[in-house]
Amino acid sequence: MPDNESKPAQARHIDALRDIVYQCNRCAQCLDFSTIGQAVKCPAYRGRPFESYASRGKFTLARALVDGVLDYDADLAERIYSCTECRGCAQNCFKYLDTTAIFTAMKEDLAERDLIPAPYAEALEGEAGLDETHNVYRAPHAERLAWLADRRRVDRPAETAFFVGCSSAYARQNMAIDTANTLERLGVDWTILSDEWCCGHPYLAAGETEKARQSLEHTIAQYEKLGVKRVVFNCPGCLKTFKHDAPKVLGRRLSFEPVHILEEIAYLAEKGELTFKPVAPKITVTYHDSCTLGRWLGIYEAPRQVLRHIPGVALREMPRNRGNAYCCGAGGLIRYAYTDISDRAGVERLREAEDTGADVLLTSCPACLMQFQQTRNKLRSHIRVMDITELIWRQVDLPGGPE
Amino acid sequence: MTTLLESLTAVCGAERVSDKLVDRICYTRDCGPSPGGIPDYIVRPTSTEEVARVLKIARERQTPVFIWGRSTTFIGNGIRQGCILLALDMMNKIEKIDLDNKVVVVQPGAVWHAVDVELNKLGWELAVPGPGGMFSCTVGGSVAYNAVPHGLAGYGMTGDNVVGLEVVLPDGAVIHTGSGSNFAAGNQHFERYSNGPDLTGLFIGSCGTLGVITKVIFRIRRMPPAEAFAFYGFDTYPQAVDAAHAIQRQDAATHLVGLFGGPKPAGYEQYDGFLHVIVRDAHAAAQERLRVAQAVCESFGGHPLDSTATRRYWTEHMYSWLRNMPPDFYYGNRPFMCPEVAGFLPTEAVKDAIAYLRNDAIEHAEEFKRYDIRIKCYDVYFSRNAAFLWIDTLYPELDPEAWKYGLALRSRYTDELCRRYMSPGGILQAIAPEVMTKLGPTFELLKLLKRSLDPHYLLNPGVLYLQPEAEATPEVSHA
Repeated sequence: MPDNESKPAQARHIDALRDIVYQCNRCAQCLDFSTIGQAVKCPAYRGRPFESYASRGKFTLARALVDGVLDYDADLAERIYSCTECRGCAQNCFKYLDTTAIFTAMKEDLAERDLIPAPYAEALEGEAGLDETHNVYRAPHAERLAWLADRRRVDRPAETAFFVGCSSAYARQNMAIDTANTLERLGVDWTILSDEWCCGHPYLAAGETEKARQSLEHTIAQYEKLGVKRVVFNCPGCLKTFKHDAPKVLGRRLSFEPVHILEEIAYLAEKGELTFKPVAPKITVTYHDSCTLGRWLGIYEAPRQVLRHIPGVALREMPRNRGNAYCCGAGGLIRYAYTDISDRAGVERLREAEDTGADVLLTSCPACLMQFQQTRNKLRSHIRVMDITELIWRQVDLPGGPE
Repeated sequence: MTTLLESLTAVCGAERVSDKLVDRICYTRDCGPSPGGIPDYIVRPTSTEEVARVLKIARERQTPVFIWGRSTTFIGNGIRQGCILLALDMMNKIEKIDLDNKVVVVQPGAVWHAVDVELNKLGWELAVPGPGGMFSCTVGGSVAYNAVPHGLAGYGMTGDNVVGLEVVLPDGAVIHTGSGSNFAAGNQHFERYSNGPDLTGLFIGSCGTLGVITKVIFRIRRMPPAEAFAFYGFDTYPQAVDAAHAIQRQDAATHLVGLFGGPKPAGYEQYDGFLHVIVRDAHAAAQERLRVAQAVCESFGGHPLDSTATRRYWTEHMYSWLRNMPPDFYYGNRPFMCPEVAGFLPTEAVKDAIAYLRNDAIEHAEEFKRYDIRIKCYDVYFSRNAAFLWIDTLYPELDPEAWKYGLALRSRYTDELCRRYMSPGGILQAIAPEVMTKLGPTFELLKLLKRSLDPHYLLNPGVLYLQPEAEATPEVSHA
């Protein structure tokens, strides 16, 4: 018989959400996408199959915490931090509960008790970690704009800014270049910060809300100084942090509008102000809805609208698409500590893409892109993996575009 | 000597066995308000063989085993502290869609609606709609619990459409039922009523007390080409019951749902009773049956209402649409619990039952007010020849006194209605004492069967109140 059955509870962030915790009626609709077939929603539950890894189980744990029959420990931390933050559990929640708010509160409690899993803590606080370099790739901060050849736009006043984000800046610089070039060709008067810091999402994913606040404040102060009214992102995670989290973390509204580059392009394409060259030979693509761009930000149609305007491109949907899309497995911070969960989700989703018969798997998020590229290589898959901005940049029909 | 954990791990592997509190505490209770005990071990088998080996180990160690599908019931799964929790949700494969024999063969952990969706892709469907928890409940659990399908009426009960089962008995033996029991012919499942007594029926509604269902062979049908809907309001609820009775006699509805208490459908507060009529059939037949149902309703003074609510209910299978409201309507943003009372009764008895419930709410109005108790519904699924009444009352979960009152009221309603005429479809630990003790010699036979198959009362003990009374009350450690 296992020991350590119960410990006394203390006042915690989760206690403030007691009423929400109790609202879960345990219907289990957070476990499956049964409206499209036999399909588990949660990558963590798929990878470590006990309910404690899934949303219903986490609500049970939260309830046990507020009831005082359980306390935080390393086992509980593993269940909470292995969440990819895909928000699949909130999709179709019978009671429309903000499931991730509960998980965030538990992360904040865990962080305050020094129970952040060691690989996460190392990525944040270790040598060349986020605290020091302001990026999650342990790269020198001074190299954040190393990809940018033409420096004329750096730190100049403009109404539109391009927030690069860590992944574009250091790990997938082609995405940064494609986005910047697209803005240039669209004739946008834009600016970019030489001292841009990480959006703060990794801090929030770890429960380090105060550090996230500092990171956000640092970048936002510079935008305010330059008179920025609109910030363009190519990373849904960064966009979500500014659009969804920042007002809560900072306790105020932002002075600018955060938008995704795809929304801009879709808008212009729909108005007929942007046209595309045909893709030759024709290709069939499938589109992976990034969890953040989709379930968090509700942007499902913009990428599809853009694809409809590119001649020679046929879209073939995966069975799980839009709000029902399965996570690629790279969300949250799980690649640092729970690679088995992450890898399993990546393989499952890539196989689903392959099964459509598409030539190319498109996505719109650097984390998804990297995950699929790695998975593709591991599986020696035939399917090509590409960020949608790359396809757009290749096909956009404007003077100065690529041949 | 190996420990129990080591023995279980030897069967399922370390990754599918847990003795950690953080895992165990997630397998304690169902959707209802009854508390459950915390199991000692969670075991997640992936095959019939593993289930059989786990049951043999449990028998050797004299350790109780509780079975877990998704635990989406509302009347207490009865899980006890110190048990092995056998979670079957990894056994979720659709093994065969057999269009020739019009059956689907599924493992017990397959989610009901997921199976239906796979069939729908071929133009077929399960022979009955799923129960209330169809989006997340399992097929095995629905059969074991004898769950009542949405809308009921023409398609019958869940159990009516089970062609055969594979079951692991408490001693670890694996049996098949119906035509599938012909071992010499390779256990082919195509007819239930064959090879002797109907053993399939023995396990339907037994709630895992007699064996663990490891495979379900279920009837399927082509999806009918047409669906038609009607919605009627009645000045008095007996008129609605009379209309339902007449519709039943003429088989005019595929599904028939009556609303007799709780909030009234938005915009129709002037009426006292309501009927939702759903017809599924070939095009001409659907229109003809709908016409008959409409004529019947109007002959009993029914007022035709906008049937969009009916269509939405049927399309989304969300109860709230019966009242033309979205799914969060019943609970709002407050923590409420719902100790359900439900069961079958003769159609004519619906009038008496509704009168009893309405009077009871008036007599106890002060208590209802004190505990902020809300009547969610007195609703009825009419079957082919009878009625399935369910009474949902909502209690503020955070008020311990209201919670206690709610559980007591559930017992009182169950007891009173069972004394008059009610026979519950699914029975679990929280209502078993009120129901089973009214069964007389049948209760004795069921106890004998339990004792014969599970002499040490190790499988779902206490769930159907089938063992000596002293052992039937579960220990509770987590409210």
